Amino acid sequence: MTPASPANVPATRPTDPRVTTLAARQAALVAALVADAPPPPGFAPEPLAAARAALLRKRAGEVARYWPLLATGLHPRWLEVFQHWAAGRPPAGALREGWDLARYLHGAGELPPLGADELACWQAGYHYPEPGRPPRPRRLPSWGRVGGAIAIQVAGRVRLLRPARRHP
Amino acid sequence: MTGPVGVGIGWRPEIAGFVAGLPGLRFVEVIAESVPTAGPLPAGLTALRERGVAVVPHGVRLSLGGAEPVDPARVAHLAAVADLTGAALVSEHIAFVRAGGLEAGHLLPLPRSREAVTAVCANVARAQAELPVPIALEPIAALFDWPDDELDEAAFLTEILDRTGAHLLLDVANVYANSRNRGTDPLDLLDRLPLERVAYAHVAGGAEQDGYYHDTHTNPVSRPVLDLVGELCARHRPPALLLERDGNFPPAATLHAELDALAAVGGLPGVT
Repeated sequence: MTPASPANVPATRPTDPRVTTLAARQAALVAALVADAPPPPGFAPEPLAAARAALLRKRAGEVARYWPLLATGLHPRWLEVFQHWAAGRPPAGALREGWDLARYLHGAGELPPLGADELACWQAGYHYPEPGRPPRPRRLPSWGRVGGAIAIQVAGRVRLLRPARRHP
Repeated sequence: MTGPVGVGIGWRPEIAGFVAGLPGLRFVEVIAESVPTAGPLPAGLTALRERGVAVVPHGVRLSLGGAEPVDPARVAHLAAVADLTGAALVSEHIAFVRAGGLEAGHLLPLPRSREAVTAVCANVARAQAELPVPIALEPIAALFDWPDDELDEAAFLTEILDRTGAHLLLDVANVYANSRNRGTDPLDLLDRLPLERVAYAHVAGGAEQDGYYHDTHTNPVSRPVLDLVGELCARHRPPALLLERDGNFPPAATLHAELDALAAVGGLPGVT
């Protein structure tokens, strides 16, 4: 119980980090778990770290369901690669996250051929012009090309015409 | 309410064929957010409905425990899925999944405070006003607790159930996980919860990693979890038990065995 405050003293001081609204505290907790913000006051750090790692593993599993070839192509380092890339990056949905990761790896010259095949197929089927907005299905016939892989899409059906160059 | 009865299983597209082949099945659960309301139900679910198998839409992203009011569009979607599946009951979690514009990607625990009880009850009331059927609330497995809990788990949950009139969806694996990670006795919790309010119970597998027990839904159901189901049923047998398996799907024979084990420990008719 909080003792009754004198009338001229505010019951809570907004500058006191221990006294804040549930909304603000929930926001601080989520930011600490997914966006590299510092742990909110009072939380034990080890369980929070375990929760952070568990969230990354769950996200990796969800992305691998949308991007099975990318995950397979990175085997046995898939979890490590995903966690390294995703740590501190708030979740954006599995389709987008796999797409962003594939683009990042392509830029770094580390996209495996299977991942290039898969990215080309998604590009043929979906329009994803800018990060921050969800990919949308393409209505017109289209194609995708990544690292030598070429995929085409007609009436919603995607076909990989040529796989990416396999590394020697 | 004619809620779920018997042994059920979480319907997932990957095991739709397996689920369709269970002759004694009377209910399944489906992740509400995975069901598009624009088109027809997935064919597998339609076939189950035609067989008289009850469907319980299970929401995972309403964020009923969020301090902000629940998103009316998400409630409307859950209501539409309930209509589409002819459901007699829906379920969601006592948890929040987003805050401050960020998605957590999973269910997060609330502080067990009076302020949080008020917030979650307000959101449950908002949802109940729009849902065509009753809701059951599921306590989650949490890897951490808030530093300023005022209530223990039983008092926190009972207060929410009393104030909302909601049913309880008791996840036995979550009870087990929390007791292991907190070092508490799961039977104490079972003894203090209003078990007559349980509409159905969840059972799932988990795994130990880095010193914590994780409720993964991708591992086999362990003997201690089955034993805890037995303890639950000895106190008050819920009308239904549901096996949750979300990935790393085993051969059909293994899932059959898990369903049989659930039926045996719960004293319910077999479905395989």
